[in-house]
Amino acid sequence: MNRMIINTMLILLSMSVSMLAWATGTHYEIRVDGLACPYCAYGIEKKLTAIDGVKNLKVDLENGLVSVDVSDGVVLTEADMKQLFEDAGFTYRSMTTSHPDRDQDKTQ
Amino acid sequence: MKIGQLIFLSVLIISPALAHDPVFGLGPHVLFKGGVEIAPQISTEKEQDERGTELGVELTYGITGDWAAGVELPWVDKNGFNNNSGPGDLSVFSKYRFWRRDSLGVQQSASILGKLKFDTSGGGLPPLGSGSTAGLLGLAYGYESRKWYRWAGVRYRVNGENNRGFRQGNKLLLDLVGGIRLKMTAYDEPDTVWLVELNGEYTDRSVMDGNRLANSGGTEWFVSPGIFWTLRNFAVKAGVQIAVASDLNGDQPETDYRAKLVLEWHL
Repeated sequence: MNRMIINTMLILLSMSVSMLAWATGTHYEIRVDGLACPYCAYGIEKKLTAIDGVKNLKVDLENGLVSVDVSDGVVLTEADMKQLFEDAGFTYRSMTTSHPDRDQDKTQ
Repeated sequence: MKIGQLIFLSVLIISPALAHDPVFGLGPHVLFKGGVEIAPQISTEKEQDERGTELGVELTYGITGDWAAGVELPWVDKNGFNNNSGPGDLSVFSKYRFWRRDSLGVQQSASILGKLKFDTSGGGLPPLGSGSTAGLLGLAYGYESRKWYRWAGVRYRVNGENNRGFRQGNKLLLDLVGGIRLKMTAYDEPDTVWLVELNGEYTDRSVMDGNRLANSGGTEWFVSPGIFWTLRNFAVKAGVQIAVASDLNGDQPETDYRAKLVLEWHL
């Protein structure tokens, strides 16, 4: 009986961990040119975080990288990102996506 | 009334300073599309016994990622032989970035600026505005990297005639600016850039009732140390213009110094 309860709890725990991982959705790393100062990069933060489901924005000025996590079901397309960074005053170069739960990388 | 009283303060807040632009000179910065910049600022100028202070608010809107437009609403306070304070001349401006070259951590760009100043100042003496409309055209180039900054700008201001038959001389302004970020900071950390500007001003002789005035116009050069401190979407810009060379026509007071402090929010 005790063994059955422990097994059930382990299954439930593993399902919870898997659902949490699924909830992290997709991680995007976007290469941007022209990022020289933090103040000027605020437009990027404003525009990206205005998209529903975008969170955990990070800007790496030294390497010209902008990274965000997006909820499952939300997709950032290359065309959209080109326009978004142009509107923010910078040049989009490339984008890498990863799915933390599936450990799967894809370069667009 | 002294002619100097008409001219005094006319150079303060002479062009909008967007984002990482120099404090006194002209830079190529615009604003992200849909962005709003609110920039309250205070400028002060001292010429011998006269001191003038101008408070202003500059509001700018990013029409596209390369095109911004805005309005300047000044409040002027003059102290000297007579005192007067009130609203100054309202200005509207637009800036277009026509060239941009981006690489990793570096942005080079060039912009043109157009500005119109209207005769909207309050009455009394000394006058709080020039009493006339004026137009300004500017061209600026900027190089910005993680460590080094450099800008070059030229502006030409054409002044109209006021209702007393006085026309202030047109003005040509040249700016060469260098800047350095001594400490590399992350996006969410306070960031400081130190600036040194060389600002040159050549002013034509003023005209009264068709006659060119002997005691007007000339050339002045300023060296202007400044600082640009930012935290995310908030910036503080400050600088002092110190006159280092002066060749003014006739008998005119030389500028002792000018100082400017700008607070700036990007929303």
